[in-house]
Amino acid sequence: MIQLFHVYKSFGSKNPALIDVSLTAKKGEFVFITGPSGAGKSTLLKIIFCAEKPTSGHALVDGRNLNRIKDRDLALLRRKIGVIFQDFKLLPRRNVFENVALVLEIMGFPLSMIRKKVHQALRYLDLANKEGYYPPQLSGGEQQRVAIARAIINNPLILLADEPTGNLDPGLTMEIMALLREIHSRGTTVIVATHSRELLKDTRRRIVTLNKGRIV
Amino acid sequence: MRITFFRYFFRQAVANILRNRLVHLVGVGTMAIAFLIFNAFVLIFVNLNHWTEEQGRSLSMSIYFKEEPERVVLENIKKELLHFPGVTIKRFISKDDAMESIKGQLGDKAGLLDGLKVNPLPASLEIILSRDKNGDSSPYQLKTMLERIDSVDEVQYSQEWIERFQAIMEAIKLIGIIFGGLLFLAALFIITNTIKLTIYSRKDEIEILKLVGATNRFVKTPFLIEGSIQGFLGGSVAIIILFLSYITVITRLDLRVGFTSLDIVFLSPQFILLLLIMSIITGFIGSTISLGRFFRI
Repeated sequence: MIQLFHVYKSFGSKNPALIDVSLTAKKGEFVFITGPSGAGKSTLLKIIFCAEKPTSGHALVDGRNLNRIKDRDLALLRRKIGVIFQDFKLLPRRNVFENVALVLEIMGFPLSMIRKKVHQALRYLDLANKEGYYPPQLSGGEQQRVAIARAIINNPLILLADEPTGNLDPGLTMEIMALLREIHSRGTTVIVATHSRELLKDTRRRIVTLNKGRIV
Repeated sequence: MRITFFRYFFRQAVANILRNRLVHLVGVGTMAIAFLIFNAFVLIFVNLNHWTEEQGRSLSMSIYFKEEPERVVLENIKKELLHFPGVTIKRFISKDDAMESIKGQLGDKAGLLDGLKVNPLPASLEIILSRDKNGDSSPYQLKTMLERIDSVDEVQYSQEWIERFQAIMEAIKLIGIIFGGLLFLAALFIITNTIKLTIYSRKDEIEILKLVGATNRFVKTPFLIEGSIQGFLGGSVAIIILFLSYITVITRLDLRVGFTSLDIVFLSPQFILLLLIMSIITGFIGSTISLGRFFRI
């Protein structure tokens, strides 16, 4: 599902964010990417959903070479990847319903179907009574759940989560992790980038550790 | 593009305008000013053009009498004139009417004329010689014929002046097209930058839309519709301001050029429609140009 071959990524003259990273994640796998802040975890996820292109090396996602992908194909590929961003990336001037509905609107779903699916997702994430609220009116945990709802609304093949519990208290952290496990149990490939050791304690999932841009 | 998708994009565009009211208000205001300058230029140009064409088709002629003509003499001359193709009698100005007119023009200084024992101003008959009715109507022939009449002192007409004016107008037309084009480009530049501001204020939104799988068309279309709506609103405001200025200021001015007064007419409904369509297209082009640089995510 995800294959990275000798990927390098540098931003100008600064130290490279990724150095010779090769990684494979099979369909339906659950992988933790861990490492200290600045290790390159977020950059790695950005390469996978093509917010950044590798400086050298190759990245293949769902059989597509991201170095050579066309704009339209990239848009279609991104619809198969749900991303929970560290900063949520919610649209502040659209309410919860509109933020979650966005992906389905992009895909051209009819309005009746969008309503049904969004209500379902909001109920699932315990946000049913918040659908008319705007992101700035929500707590960090609620915004996180809206971001998750948007990421999973179209049952993506891959779910990428960048520090999904970074802003949450321990109770909510467990809740979010349980949610990610449930999404994984439906067959979705889940990649979680985190620096939290607590989250990795006792896990039987595969853990990839990055340090200064290299897999260690 | 499917109807449902267009409806979705249109709804989205309207929703975006309402969500970003202030930015759009500034945009519409700036566009209105740019269009107002352009439309005002068009109004002046269209009127000057119309006026020269009118003048080219007909010319004013003044027949001055040696003395105040007797009624019978005047009626005979009028009859003679009406035999001449394309002639319309405009009005007779008696010596007293001429004096009154001068006094009116002098205003406060009209008292200067009180010292005159005899009214030195001649009576005159103003006629219009229309050429489109009969191409053979020669003002020179008419002038010669009239000057043979005993009571007629002199005949003057605006031909030379019109010919000179037409040459000037040809030059003005050329300058007008160049200046109008430059003005349009300036308006487009201002509008493009205004729309760029609108788009820049929503660059995060564009980024998010693209990251969750929106195609370029999906992101661009509402912006293009917004630009077109902004263009339409800016163009409409400009026309309304121009019309209000026209009825409050221009219609009260008494503009006289040569023998005739210059009546400024407002733009025709077809012209207004054309300017509105142009405003919409300008908004659309402005959006297209502005969007270019935001699609490298």
